[in-house]
Amino acid sequence: MPQGVPPGGPKKKPWRKILYEKQAYPDNYTDHNIFLKDLKKNIDFHEVSFLEACLGANLVLQEFCTVVFFAVVYMYMVSRWIESWVLLYGMTFTGFVCFVFYRCIRLGKTPQEFTIDRKKHSLGHDVRTVLTFIAFGQLFSPVLHTLTDTISTDTIHTMAFLMFIVHLVFFDYGVPAAIVSKSVSLSAAIFASICLASRLASASEAFVLLALATQLFALSPILRNLFNHHPIITAILFLIDLHFLLLISSVGAVLFLSAVFLINLICPVLFVKYQKHKDNIYGPWDEAVVKDVDNIRF
Amino acid sequence: MNKQYSLEPECHKICMVSDFFFPNMGGVEEHIFNLSQCLLLKGHKVIVMTHSYEDRVGIRYMTNGLKVYYLPIKVFYNQCVLPTMICNIPLIRYILLREEIQIIHGHSAFSALAHEAMLIGNLLGLKTVFTDHSLFGFADASALITNKLLEMSLASCNHCICVSYIGKENTVLRGRVDCKRVSVIPNAVDTFSFTPDPTQRDQSQITIVVVSRLVYRKGVDLTAQVIGDICDKYKEVNFLIAGDGPKRWLLEEIRERRGLQDRVLLLGALEHSQVRNVLVKGHIFLNTSLTEAYCMAIVEAVSCGLKVVSTRVGGIPEVLPDDLITLTEPTVPSLLEGLDKTILELKRGQFVCPYACNKRTEKYYNWQDVSTRTQIVYNSVSKEEPKSLRKILHSQLGSGVWPYLLVISLAFLILQFYEFWVPRKEIDIARNYKCSKKTHVKEKWNI
Repeated sequence: MPQGVPPGGPKKKPWRKILYEKQAYPDNYTDHNIFLKDLKKNIDFHEVSFLEACLGANLVLQEFCTVVFFAVVYMYMVSRWIESWVLLYGMTFTGFVCFVFYRCIRLGKTPQEFTIDRKKHSLGHDVRTVLTFIAFGQLFSPVLHTLTDTISTDTIHTMAFLMFIVHLVFFDYGVPAAIVSKSVSLSAAIFASICLASRLASASEAFVLLALATQLFALSPILRNLFNHHPIITAILFLIDLHFLLLISSVGAVLFLSAVFLINLICPVLFVKYQKHKDNIYGPWDEAVVKDVDNIRF
Repeated sequence: MNKQYSLEPECHKICMVSDFFFPNMGGVEEHIFNLSQCLLLKGHKVIVMTHSYEDRVGIRYMTNGLKVYYLPIKVFYNQCVLPTMICNIPLIRYILLREEIQIIHGHSAFSALAHEAMLIGNLLGLKTVFTDHSLFGFADASALITNKLLEMSLASCNHCICVSYIGKENTVLRGRVDCKRVSVIPNAVDTFSFTPDPTQRDQSQITIVVVSRLVYRKGVDLTAQVIGDICDKYKEVNFLIAGDGPKRWLLEEIRERRGLQDRVLLLGALEHSQVRNVLVKGHIFLNTSLTEAYCMAIVEAVSCGLKVVSTRVGGIPEVLPDDLITLTEPTVPSLLEGLDKTILELKRGQFVCPYACNKRTEKYYNWQDVSTRTQIVYNSVSKEEPKSLRKILHSQLGSGVWPYLLVISLAFLILQFYEFWVPRKEIDIARNYKCSKKTHVKEKWNI
């Protein structure tokens, strides 16, 4: 029996990490020179500086400002401080300028990348999409307008709030995480705007709000992606939001300011401060990763 | 365990608890059954406790009078019962007292029933041993939660058993157990049922055998790629694949696209008893697992006289000596290189004789040895002091999940209540099964 051999004998062979040979050590023996030798901690960990963390938080802040902008426009429309046709013209104009801008930037990009999906991104294709949207939007806006009409305003506001939270949580901030889902994020935002549209006076106003939602939540992320969500865009959105919020209610402005403060200052500070506690353990027990699962050569 | 233990037979009354048992089939089930059989032969009293499987409820007797309790508890998820911690106390307490159990041996970290029974056993002052059969990472959320649960459960466990040294490192890290309380006792293989038979081999061809469930964790993606490339390179190589699973389409696809229908044979799921008949037809065994605590399959293959080519993951490097296995990295180029080397060795006739493989496997891994080593663990825990409630609660403080103390206290109160409601002395003691053929079997096993 291995246990029968007195430990620490002079001729004792050193312990080896093998199962197939009976060794002169008890089963619960631990060789501290070998035990956990292959344990690795924090592989490819790179320390995030405060500036990097702030730039990261900027992505969230930008989307947050977009949502607040939408909410501000809704407030203006529901309180009749703005005529819907003014908004529509403004939106169309901005949309057109942004579109031209977008086309130009795309043309400036490498031609190879462009030719791959030329068909999908031809001008005719885009125009057709816009026409389809206008036609179907006009057709269905009376339906969408009355869809949630019978629900009380409090419920509508709570629902919109929750859906915008969902939108922010699932939004694609450019980080490959399991929770990211563009479709869930977009659906949540559109659902929230349909809820809000029912509080407006007429179907045409509902159409304007939905068109705005499409521009802000479906199209603007594509454009902002081209600029890598530059902080200047965030700054402009922030100033616009703050200006109009101050006109509506000072409480709202203060809440908005504190949210911005939380997102862009406190969260990065906490992240930078606590990243030293990161303690990921890796070792031979980890599941090996098959690198090219998706491109098997059949 | 520095003390020397006498080997004179010391009879324990052991209760194996796990959610996984016959009619379910797998590594854990096999382990419990074989270990119990060997312990029975050594004169211990062993019962098995598991949840019911469809109409299989109540008490059943298996080979050599192994008594199995199929408790009438509903399966909740993945063959496990709902871990309520308190609902099954009366039933489990009754069985433990009725069978006069001294040691509770739980199996598998996934088994909720095992953890429940171990808690009840601790509170009744019995000894608890736990065998961990699997490896776990630390990176994702599900692993974090399971590891915490394991830590809570193992805090008051007397001794742990792991199947490989990697498994021990993993359990010590996950469960924060003192490494002196963890023993390494590998699995074993019944080398009498996995005997080689070189006449079954096709001498003009080289047959590579794969036996595994066809799931991602077993590296089917690697297998598929390797099959395609090896078949292109060597015209004399055939593949024999046993097993089924969600990734089967991948192998079918590659067979279809490369026109290998006559060279790659997919046998589908097999009974465990049929595996040997497939293994003996091959020359080389290919294992592409991505994670593995011990890997029974490669030992079975070696026992049938095959040379193994396997990925170097988990506990696999510890299992076999270098001349019986070719280790590769878990990538396609490395596996191809390993197979090239092995095929060359085969052509040069450098393989170890199949019958020698069988003999050596028997020497390395047999259930007799496993049960003897487990017995040593039983002997040592039975000498430990029973834990008081105070001690159990105190050992839980380290895990940081303090609400669990309330669960333990509640379980303790329920047990106290039942002590009054169904007193110990009113519980009938079960009669022990007398095995008449014991002497005969003993002769066969040379005990």
